[in-house]
Amino acid sequence: MSPRENTSATSTRRRPSLSFRSRPRTAAPVPMSKDFGWDTWQEPSLVKMCQDGEAAVLEEMEPFPDAVPRRRGAKSFSSLRHPVDGIVALGRRLSVSLRNKSSKQNLTVMENVHDDLEDHERYEDRHYTHVTDRAGHKRHIATGSWDARVAPNNWPQGYSINRRPSLNSVSALHGFYAPTASIPVPIPGRGQEPPILPNNRFGGAAARAAAAAQNEQMEVARMAKVERESNKILEMRIPQDSESGIGIDLRDRSEVPDVGFQGIRRIDPIGFLPAEISAHIFSYLDPDSLMTCEAVSRSWLQACSSPVWKHVFRGTYGRRPASDTASKMKQSSGLGKSIPNQDWKKMYLTRRALDQRWKDGKAAAIYLQGHQDSVYCSQFDEKKIITGSRDRTIRVWDAHYPWACQKIIGPPSQRVYGRGPVNSPTSQASGTSPFLTITPPFVHPDNVDEGSEEEDSVYHSASILCLQFDEEIMVTGSSDHTCIVWDIKNDYRPIHRLSGHHAGVLDVCFDDRYIVSCSKDTTICVWDRKTGELLRQLVGHLGPVNAVQLRGDLIVSASGDGVAKMWNVISGQCVKEFVSKDRGLACVEFSDDGRTILTGGNDRIIYQFDANTGDLVNELRGHSGLVRSLHLDSDNKRIVSGSYDMSVKVFDRDSGNLSINFPGWTTSWMLSVQSDYRRIVATSQDARTVIMDFGYGLDGIDLLEE
Amino acid sequence: MSTGTITLTSSDEVDITLDRAVAERSVLIKNMLEDLGDSGEAIPIPNVNEAVLKKVIAWCEQHKNDPASANDDDDNRRKTTDIDEWDQKFMQVDQEMLFEIILAANYLDIKALLDVGCKTVANMIKGKSPEEIRKTFNIQNDFTPEEEDQIRRENEWAEDR
Repeated sequence: MSPRENTSATSTRRRPSLSFRSRPRTAAPVPMSKDFGWDTWQEPSLVKMCQDGEAAVLEEMEPFPDAVPRRRGAKSFSSLRHPVDGIVALGRRLSVSLRNKSSKQNLTVMENVHDDLEDHERYEDRHYTHVTDRAGHKRHIATGSWDARVAPNNWPQGYSINRRPSLNSVSALHGFYAPTASIPVPIPGRGQEPPILPNNRFGGAAARAAAAAQNEQMEVARMAKVERESNKILEMRIPQDSESGIGIDLRDRSEVPDVGFQGIRRIDPIGFLPAEISAHIFSYLDPDSLMTCEAVSRSWLQACSSPVWKHVFRGTYGRRPASDTASKMKQSSGLGKSIPNQDWKKMYLTRRALDQRWKDGKAAAIYLQGHQDSVYCSQFDEKKIITGSRDRTIRVWDAHYPWACQKIIGPPSQRVYGRGPVNSPTSQASGTSPFLTITPPFVHPDNVDEGSEEEDSVYHSASILCLQFDEEIMVTGSSDHTCIVWDIKNDYRPIHRLSGHHAGVLDVCFDDRYIVSCSKDTTICVWDRKTGELLRQLVGHLGPVNAVQLRGDLIVSASGDGVAKMWNVISGQCVKEFVSKDRGLACVEFSDDGRTILTGGNDRIIYQFDANTGDLVNELRGHSGLVRSLHLDSDNKRIVSGSYDMSVKVFDRDSGNLSINFPGWTTSWMLSVQSDYRRIVATSQDARTVIMDFGYGLDGIDLLEE
Repeated sequence: MSTGTITLTSSDEVDITLDRAVAERSVLIKNMLEDLGDSGEAIPIPNVNEAVLKKVIAWCEQHKNDPASANDDDDNRRKTTDIDEWDQKFMQVDQEMLFEIILAANYLDIKALLDVGCKTVANMIKGKSPEEIRKTFNIQNDFTPEEEDQIRRENEWAEDR
């Protein structure tokens, strides 16, 4: 018996195995009853065996065996990896086996019995009868193991003792058996069966149990065949064997043919089944398993086709919704395009590398310079980044190399280039710095795209404080108390101006029905998206309303008075309040599923509320200044925040743990942040916008664009 | 829901009589009965032998009251590899029978059974090394060492290593 690691108390009772070879008669069944606990029956049995002058092998009695090293000869039945799930399936099988080591010199007698648990004692009797019968032939290395497959909480009551009479020392080394434990335990290989290793990476314990049962079932069939063959050999061998002294196989194990090999038909499913079914099977795999399949054989490699990778990629990362709901312009999820010949495997490898960069906090910094003053707001999609500034202009930038400024929307006098400051390395010392910094040269867009010479009056006459765009329109809010709706499809021409607030418009959002704006005048205005008509005004906040979000019929707003309110957009009533612990709120995020509300502000804490109950669920700490801006990326479970402490931080949505800290990537306050699958775009009071690009230079990153 | 019984003839010429409602778990048979009407004659199932057909019918019997799959979307069908307990036991057969059931489910167009069969095979693959997979299905490794090396390199981290 191998010196297995044993952490249980019973280990003290284990005997050095080699000195406790049991002879057959010792294996007489120990009387037991269900009422006997582990200790109570084990002790008498040990005494009894010793009194008989026989040695007992007790190793198998470990209640919680640890990993059993794989041995070629260890053909014991696997224990059930998922006892509870599979108990019904496997409880029927009671197997008693006496087997040999090799076909030539060692003999196998085995029985496989499928029956109900109640019958196990009968089989035990039969089992020992066999042993006794063969006892005279010392060359017969017969090992028997039986396994009452019962749930772990049953077995100490007597069902799952695993004893195995051993006829000689060699067999004892190979015939040990490990009873089922409640934790997944590696199952040693059985003949041609590979070992089954505990694997908790994937969900579906029940499914794994089914697979294990599958394997087991095949094993049973194989054993039955082995038994028949062995019996034949036994008949031939017995007369000679009785003459000889011992039966040790001197050949190298690798030379010993495995009797079990032909015992069951093992069929390559990829060769046997049509390609579409192979693809169907593979599509249930996870990426790692699929990559393993590629290494099995040429036909398997071929079967791991791009359509299969497409399914596996989507199974891992999800897929784009068939139709984008217009309620909120959703960030790109980096799921690629559904185009012919798309390299889905390459996409997976790229995505995996990209996710690793997020884990490592490894990003390039690309600085967009051109605004002459604080950049208050921004939004981006796969193609463009739009920023709004205190310099009264809105600028549209190419989201790709060379990140050129494509358009400046604002009074002609303001359409000039402002050069941003240069980073100071010391301010980044406490966190992660960019692995690469790029400051593209500013090419004045008016050189290419001659700006229109309309009157200044069509533009905002003061700072651009907020903006949102979708496929059709962009809405901006300004310190000039108004919002302007722009036609994105028609070269950003202004459509109409929304006038009604009596102070600066601090935030704006919209869906396919409403435009919602909030203001320093403490009110929230709801406008008709199509007509620009003011539908209603929500009054209730006691301070400036700094941020607003709209999901379905619900509005969530955050105010400098320290309270976030939830409103019904139709009734205009305040439904709920979410209060900060101390001071004013600057920003709010309302999750896409409407269940979570995040607020940030002067407390330097990000509060996470349950939108339904109103309970404070978590507090995310780490910022040392006012939390100015928040972005929740539900797909990737990331919360991104920008703060007056000049840092951008990323928190894990589920745990609330800080995962990335980028301090000092700009030289002043962070005013807005937003992220997608590959980048964070943050704007700063230092007149710059920084793209924190985790995908920069990554091979195949373009494939992920939607 | 149709009533009465119908008879199927397996590839080895064995007639099996079963409830029409059970048989109609097979979209192939359902469509056939709808298109041609029930003539009372046995329907030949030339691709499926008696043993497999009986297994398949046993599955259909068990699942005859299942609601029709609301969502046949491929991606949704492939989301999980969980298999319910009865199906797990049902799939405890040798490899040949397992694959024959899959083929029969495919031929007879019984999507849920095809899914269960494919999931069972997928679960036999998951978590194994290439060598373990080869042993499980008795597959020859026909890669050259160079090819093996190349596959390994391709699947390694694309960067930073």
